[in-house]
Amino acid sequence: MLSTLLAELSLRQLPCGGWAALASSSQPAIEPTCYSALALGSVPVGDIVRAQNFLLITQNPNGSWPVFPGDDREGGWVTSLAVIALRDLVLAIPARLRGFHWLLNCAGKESNWFWKWKFRTADRHVRFDPDKYGWPWSPDAVSWVVPTAFAILALNQIPCSCGGLERLPFRVDRGIEMLMDRACPGGGWNAGNGVVYGTALAPHADDTATALLALTDRKEDPIAQSGVQYLEKIAPSLSAPWSLAWAILALAAYQRPVDGLQRLLTTLPGLSTVENTGTLALVSLAIDHRRGLSALGVNS
Amino acid sequence: MNFTRRDFLVGSAALTAGASVSAPFFLPKYYVDRRQKRSRVAILHADQYSGRLDEIVAAGLRLFALDVRGKRVVLKPNLVDYSPGDAINTHPLLVLAAADLFRRMDAKSVVVAEGPGHQRDTRLVLSQGGYDRVLREEKIRFVDLNRDELIRTPLRASYTGMKHLWLPRTVLDCDFLVSMPKIKTHHWAGVTLSMKNMFGIVPGSRYGWPKNILHWEGIQESILDLCATVPIPFVIADGIVAMEGNGPLNGAARTLGTIVLADDPVAADATCSRLMGFEPDRIVHIRAGSRFTGNSLPALIDQVGEIPTSPATPFQVVPEFRFLHAP
Repeated sequence: MLSTLLAELSLRQLPCGGWAALASSSQPAIEPTCYSALALGSVPVGDIVRAQNFLLITQNPNGSWPVFPGDDREGGWVTSLAVIALRDLVLAIPARLRGFHWLLNCAGKESNWFWKWKFRTADRHVRFDPDKYGWPWSPDAVSWVVPTAFAILALNQIPCSCGGLERLPFRVDRGIEMLMDRACPGGGWNAGNGVVYGTALAPHADDTATALLALTDRKEDPIAQSGVQYLEKIAPSLSAPWSLAWAILALAAYQRPVDGLQRLLTTLPGLSTVENTGTLALVSLAIDHRRGLSALGVNS
Repeated sequence: MNFTRRDFLVGSAALTAGASVSAPFFLPKYYVDRRQKRSRVAILHADQYSGRLDEIVAAGLRLFALDVRGKRVVLKPNLVDYSPGDAINTHPLLVLAAADLFRRMDAKSVVVAEGPGHQRDTRLVLSQGGYDRVLREEKIRFVDLNRDELIRTPLRASYTGMKHLWLPRTVLDCDFLVSMPKIKTHHWAGVTLSMKNMFGIVPGSRYGWPKNILHWEGIQESILDLCATVPIPFVIADGIVAMEGNGPLNGAARTLGTIVLADDPVAADATCSRLMGFEPDRIVHIRAGSRFTGNSLPALIDQVGEIPTSPATPFQVVPEFRFLHAP
């Protein structure tokens, strides 16, 4: 199954070296390219060099990555994925450093005193602590769970907080606090709205898994543990490969058994013809979860 | 009374300053006026989601002189997230009925397209919401608008001040877009009907989940900019089981037994609002939308199905929107 999926991924690579989000599309995008590059990284299929070159040439002058080539130049959440996908490439060290600097300078809007004040006084329908901020999907918005989790995963790959990266521990700690703060009351995470208008919102499997991957240094924390419990409970009922693949990666990172879930994943119908190329790549990473976690830089 | 030269100069300066400050509030913020002279709305009675929806919607479509022959039709339901038993999403059987009918009307293609605002795993929403099987069996193509090809699109109104948005090719290239909302209350917009449903075309891959930039730019303003930029020629709204209270996710199901068809999104939303017991002109995007993209006044709307009547008990809303209730 894995070789079939990797061969399909390889077939979907565009002449520019990148991958489009959907099989029917010819517009390359950074997110599916990063997942595909990670999936193909250590196997002798596909042209990983062209994929890496594609990522290098699409970097914005400010160090960020656009969501797709031709996008506006302010950059976005995929910057974290790009620096993760390029981590084994010596040639990419300067580009990754510029990416790390951009990430350290990018923060959720609630980090500003004015918005902090607004969320404390006038705008209190969503329950959260604005002192605990992470990363937004795009600059000039508030922090959300998924971009924060990816940023933590990316920044955890920096070996030291030197050379202008002194704010690294502070930002990562704040990001972790933010994830803890935004957890759903019953365990797990959704996009970042745990409680709205006094009502607890339901968690999502993929968001929970992404948050848990960023929190592997806090495995024993009760909030992380209740996320794991939620994921263990929900995973066998997941009927879509994207969520199930993320769940397998996260549960494997927390040393939970995933053999049964992997069997379930490989029996989902039409797996190799899934329209979403990012899903195809994630399924490949989840089937070989040890390599998948290593590719994502997750300390399991 | 004597005016000195000094009084005149001070008065002129004050008038100029006042005009320049207040002008932006009075100048039109839309670049195109798409209002029809008259709009047409059909309220259809439907007790339940069943195979009979085909007949009901077919009867409703016959009340409109629609010609979709050779056209690429996109059906845009409202799929936000899935929660068992909750009336969050447009029901798949209604979408199936519409797809089947537009095919029979010789549309060149019929595609169902949506970009859920809360859930990144679109396929999970489709699978759990009952869409996957229906779409597969009927061979109806689905496009995930959160991940579709994107085109830089200048906005055709300036309510938000954003100059452009990246919008999906599937929607921009289609010939006939049908907004298929669930009739619901919304804790930040008041209602989520055919106009608010357009948030689903804004791609999550570019703007995130939820599509937070639209909240920062103003929800009502974003609705207006989107509806000015991407016209909605037809609406089929699912009010068989609607939602009241803390919508769009955590409200309570409310049986309305109604499907609303319209050739004008403002007329559709104004009518749906009346059916919910709301005063449409108190909803900012309906009131402002009636200046350029449709009609909200009953005198300009031909009701060709049942006559809209306010419910004995209006839809519940969060406290901030109690002012919507009609007197």
